[in-house]
Amino acid sequence: MAMDMFLDQLHGMAQYYPVVLKGVGVTLALSFIGIAAGTVAGFVLGIGRASSSRALSFLVGAYTDIFRGTPVLVQVFVVFFVLPEAGIELDSFTAGAIALSNLAACFISEIVAAGIRAVPAGQLEAAASSGLSRFQQLRLVVLPQATRMIVPSLVGQYVLLVKDSSVVSAIGLLDLTRSGWVIVQSVPNGLLVFSAVGLGYFLICYPLLYWSRRLEKT
Amino acid sequence: MIKFSDVNKWYGTHHVLQNINLEVAKGEVVVVCGPSGSGKSTLIRCVNGLEKFQAGMLTVEGMPVASEANLRKLRMELGFVFQQFNLYPHKTALENVTLAPIHVRKLSAKEAASRGREILAKVGLADKCDAYPQQLSGGQQQRVAIARSLCMQPKVMLFDEPTSALDPEMINEVLDVMVALAKDGMTMIVVTHEMGFARKVADRVAFIDKGVMVEVAKPEAFFTAPANERTREFLGKILHH
Amino acid sequence: MLSNLNFRVIAETLPDFWGGLVFTLSISLAAFAGALAIGVVACAMSLQSSRVVRAPAVAYVDVVRATPLLAQLYFLYFGLPNFGVLMPEIMIGIVALSINSGAYVSEIIRSGIHSIPRGQMEASASSGMSYWQQMRLIILPQALRPMVSPLIGQAIVLVKDSSLLSLISVLELTRVGQTLANDRFMPVEGLASTAACYLLIYYGLKLAAAAWVRLAQRPGRC
Repeated sequence: MAMDMFLDQLHGMAQYYPVVLKGVGVTLALSFIGIAAGTVAGFVLGIGRASSSRALSFLVGAYTDIFRGTPVLVQVFVVFFVLPEAGIELDSFTAGAIALSNLAACFISEIVAAGIRAVPAGQLEAAASSGLSRFQQLRLVVLPQATRMIVPSLVGQYVLLVKDSSVVSAIGLLDLTRSGWVIVQSVPNGLLVFSAVGLGYFLICYPLLYWSRRLEKT
Repeated sequence: MIKFSDVNKWYGTHHVLQNINLEVAKGEVVVVCGPSGSGKSTLIRCVNGLEKFQAGMLTVEGMPVASEANLRKLRMELGFVFQQFNLYPHKTALENVTLAPIHVRKLSAKEAASRGREILAKVGLADKCDAYPQQLSGGQQQRVAIARSLCMQPKVMLFDEPTSALDPEMINEVLDVMVALAKDGMTMIVVTHEMGFARKVADRVAFIDKGVMVEVAKPEAFFTAPANERTREFLGKILHH
Repeated sequence: MLSNLNFRVIAETLPDFWGGLVFTLSISLAAFAGALAIGVVACAMSLQSSRVVRAPAVAYVDVVRATPLLAQLYFLYFGLPNFGVLMPEIMIGIVALSINSGAYVSEIIRSGIHSIPRGQMEASASSGMSYWQQMRLIILPQALRPMVSPLIGQAIVLVKDSSLLSLISVLELTRVGQTLANDRFMPVEGLASTAACYLLIYYGLKLAAAAWVRLAQRPGRC
């Protein structure tokens, strides 16, 4: 009897595969955008953070602190509910993308700054001594070395981003988590439904996690 | 060519360089020696602006080093060789050598590469153009570092203890390159403990102790009949091996 | 926009926010305690030589770290009733937070232990100590020190994670902020106050971490 019900539920869940597919699509799209935009912005912010100008470093640090010290959920709410007050109306996907990209950028900026600071001072001296400008020193000597060092941390950050993308379900966006929430209303087996959701995230995140751990070992 | 006039530097209250006066003429080789902490590294690092000083005047070909605007231009003409080599680990030997010529002197990649290969051959590393620093011995890395500076065709070469971080058996391969440079007429300031090198090619030897330029003399005079007591003491310590 | 903040409303709702903040801290504290307990057990299991004991611990950590907290929360919230387990939302929330953070705590403890040089084990083994004596007297006391900073970091993460409980109707800080924002149509004031409260906790914990770093510079007792 329990088996029948279970099979019924499985069947019910399977009917919802379009919803799940859409959810996976949204999660992947948000993750890609967040990772790409977040990495670019994160590098820009990180260079500012590692700057010798104390004022610039402080300003960037203060900005990133705000987003590293508050919950993602609150940040998503801010983008979705507060920006309209300033006249910017956003749909839930764009709001989510902005919030996640910004969040990623703030965390990545700290990683990048640490990487830049870790490049030995002698490298900068050698570069400066041959007449390279500050910008050239950064581009040709410091950043390549810093980037090599921080790749494992960056990949770890990407995993976090994929997981953080789940909070967009709170503003009604149909991502993988929300698709589970929708399905469980009709197929009242939380264990089953959210195991499937978990499996979906696991398939995306575990390879990244594994790769990050392997990178750290080298 | 290079002129120190009453140069003074303080680290906090520590008077690191005291009223340094030194002139290096074109084509001259000046060796600077002294005990550790004497300020000899600081002195040479002032020449290309790696260290700043608070009082006095330092000029290279009449241009003051202190002015930021001049610094990049000056550095194009000043080659600097570090004790720790400071080769770029993510670039091959050839790439290390051609980086600045391409981006600062605006040479084409081809021109820079051919010049780079020539210079690497001159320092005896023609077959190591595509090797990465980690694949090279200390002596080879330092020779690449020298080639890197030479490729910019500088007017002056500055050496900050170039052999101090090398295993003994590799010191000579680097010194040989430096001797050849000197014989070619390069203007050089060399901070070093290698007195054999000084005797061979130095036009003058300067002894600095606790920030003070104690004595500057031609090598024969310096080594056989030093005028100052402190010089004699220092030479006594380092020459008996 | 910032200059138009209605400070009167903020002042009026201060007691509610304070309540929310205290509640968030209590939840976080309880969850952190749970996470420590779970993390210690999971770590101990993952260090055993027996595969049978190690596997579940490793699987637990891998699964938790590769899935979002929200999915784990919904898993328990919608799933437990199926087993007839009826818990108040706050309990579900604390359990979910504990299980989630427990995985990270386990990894932190593992790193701490592995950071102790091999030589310590070799030296203590050479004087005849058993494995458990080595752990108890030599390794663990030393391992404690490098664990403190990452553990404070995890505490910070936990406080931020607790905001998700608002989605299962727990009246913690975020929920308070949302309720007030919706009730009074003042999302700016509501969310700004919420953010400010979290930043208070964040900087407080960062100060604790900095104080620890200064304290830890002193040699001697761990």
